Amino acid sequence: MKATQGTTYRMLGNRLNDITTRLETLRKIGASGKKLNRPSDDPASIRPVLNTRKQLSNVDRYLETMGQSMDKMEATDGHLGHVENVLVRVKELAINAANGAMDDQALQVLSEQIGHMREELLDASNSTVDGKYIFAGYREDTKPFTLNPAYVPGGYDPNNSATWPYVYNGDENPTSLEIAPGERLQVNITGTDLFFGDADNDGVVDPGRVNIFATVTNMMEAVAAGDVARIESEMSVLDQGAEQNRRIRSQLGSRAARVESAMQHQEEVRIDLKQILSRYEDADAIESFNNIIQQENAFQAALNVTAKVSQLSILDFI
Amino acid sequence: MGGLLTALNAGKTSLSTNQKSIEIVGNNIANVNTPGYSRQRAELMQIPALNFGDFFVGQGVTVSNVRRDHDIFITRQLHEKSITLGEELGRSSPMIELERIFNIADENLAAEIDRFFDSWQELTTNPSGLVERDIVIQRGQLMGDAFAEVAQEMENVRQNINNSIVAKVDDLNETINEIARLNERIQLVEISGQSANSSRDQRDLLIEGLSKTLGVQTFVDKQDQLNVHLPGGLPLVIGNYPMSIEADTSGADVVLRLNAAGSVRYLSLSDLGGEIKGMMEVRDVFLADIRDNVDKLALDVTEAINGVHTLGYGLDGVTGRNFFQDLGGVQADAARQMRVAFTDPTWVAAAGNPAAAPGDNENALLLAELETTHFVAGTSDNFDNFFSKIVATVGIEAARNNLAVGGAEDAMVQLQNLRDGFAGVSLEEEMIDLIQYQRGFQSSAKFLSTIDEMMGSLLQLKG
Repeated sequence: MKATQGTTYRMLGNRLNDITTRLETLRKIGASGKKLNRPSDDPASIRPVLNTRKQLSNVDRYLETMGQSMDKMEATDGHLGHVENVLVRVKELAINAANGAMDDQALQVLSEQIGHMREELLDASNSTVDGKYIFAGYREDTKPFTLNPAYVPGGYDPNNSATWPYVYNGDENPTSLEIAPGERLQVNITGTDLFFGDADNDGVVDPGRVNIFATVTNMMEAVAAGDVARIESEMSVLDQGAEQNRRIRSQLGSRAARVESAMQHQEEVRIDLKQILSRYEDADAIESFNNIIQQENAFQAALNVTAKVSQLSILDFI
Repeated sequence: MGGLLTALNAGKTSLSTNQKSIEIVGNNIANVNTPGYSRQRAELMQIPALNFGDFFVGQGVTVSNVRRDHDIFITRQLHEKSITLGEELGRSSPMIELERIFNIADENLAAEIDRFFDSWQELTTNPSGLVERDIVIQRGQLMGDAFAEVAQEMENVRQNINNSIVAKVDDLNETINEIARLNERIQLVEISGQSANSSRDQRDLLIEGLSKTLGVQTFVDKQDQLNVHLPGGLPLVIGNYPMSIEADTSGADVVLRLNAAGSVRYLSLSDLGGEIKGMMEVRDVFLADIRDNVDKLALDVTEAINGVHTLGYGLDGVTGRNFFQDLGGVQADAARQMRVAFTDPTWVAAAGNPAAAPGDNENALLLAELETTHFVAGTSDNFDNFFSKIVATVGIEAARNNLAVGGAEDAMVQLQNLRDGFAGVSLEEEMIDLIQYQRGFQSSAKFLSTIDEMMGSLLQLKG
């Protein structure tokens, strides 16, 4: 065995090549800040990385969705608060009328005032967000509540929607949105459920529920007629109606709370996911710069050796 | 006088022998950087002695042969390792390309798939929004384009492999012919008892190259000629008779055929080795597999989306529409044919009820859910995971290839060092030889001048 010129220079060349290649890789890691630049860098982490990225984009979407639902819920809540106020006012007027000692004219005025309240109720029920009716179910482009032309005063029958003072033109479908993987949340309330107590929109008021519009209309008629007994019986129904409004409002509130906590949770998830992603693909800055310096020293050493080798020749000694 | 004249003669042989040796040293030094050159040395032999009275006295020296340092074992090892190196190198460049296509940067096919489903999710919050509907269509189209781009890039890789193979074939035939010529020349030279050193060196080098590209096997026959075979046993060079290899470009993929003494044989993967096998294997096995999987994913996305989309209702209340153009369940080339079937945003079936009310987002919710709940047929992977598996396959193969190329290159360097250690030119050694032969030459000259003086003395005797 002997070390020939070819061997020596081949080894030196290869060594320099190796070091420069490694240095190049390290510099790339240092410059991009990522240790995962190509699939072959770490095939095992590809699936988690792509998965985590998908989840991150999903989380962003969930947050966006929940933000929008919160807006809608807040708007709805505002209207429900208004409905509450209207019902209180109607009750006050009714109490006033039931006190007796009112002449017909005064009763007429009270009745008219209740009529105005009914108009306000109607406005609230037909309110819009972004030009869309919020109480119309899926038929957000249709005005949900309109006067029933076939309504006969006093003819209200909870089991027959044709006799109701107002008709509902929306549908019974509340909107659900996905707020977390696999979790759907109802983000609005249908008008038929809230105002008619008829959640399935089959033209029959559900047991234990109240048609608020009809109640207010009945009250208006009772006050106009000065029928104290009827005023009093309608008043208890009116209380039920107010209770129905409050119950739905509190359901909405608890759903909003759910969304709020879900948003918080998703924010946390987002941080976790970013951490996971970073663990898989980000390079440790200190470590990578250390490595670069280490490799650069090795490179310098190799260059020195190469220079020394070429200085040393038998020809200088003969 | 007779003795002195003989001595003169002996001195002359020494002069010319040392001179010859120095020539050989010079030739070694000249070829210090020649690839494949084996160090040559003069084999010295004394000229048969003559009987003078009672003694045998030598008659000088001569160069009986010029031999090269050569170790058949190392040479064969080099050839064997070249085959491995060639095969891995052949895979290398397509793998680098594939790694680029299936990258893991932020912009890749997986990101497009994510965005497509994200657009459905966005639509659920505003199912009647024409802008959201348009975005769904655009995202669908972009996803289709991304699939088509990946498919097209894979097609380019395939074409590049085909072109590389065709380009290599011309070179191959040149080498094969050259080996046959060298066989002939070596036979002609060596029949007279000399060594055809340079031709043998050259032949070894050519075989090394051929091993790398084609993975050939060799053996020496009874006439001491080197026969070259393909790994599958088909002959390439028999003595001084070369066969030829042709590239058949008539089909979709380039195939090689061997023209052996008038009969033509198509070469399959098992007949080949080295770089060409590496490239063909990537093309026919690995790439084909990846392409199948991408097509499968494309078909599955198309069918899953269409399956749910047809059940929903557009804003116009029409049901049964495909979102993507129906591929009819044909997987082949599905990735390149993924196109959104319509451009009218009202056709997007976000509604789940026949009434198709504008706020109805039920079907959009179902479609958005497919991203996580749908498994690609025959697997338990959703779209993203299925795609990650494809990328991981590429990554694993590329990493393995990197490692194998590195290993084979290291082994080659070791073997080349081993070969150089045995048969290479060491300048130190040559310098020592140079001194040695120079001194030999000087001594012979001194010897001759001494004889000359002696003859002069003799001639003066008469004087």
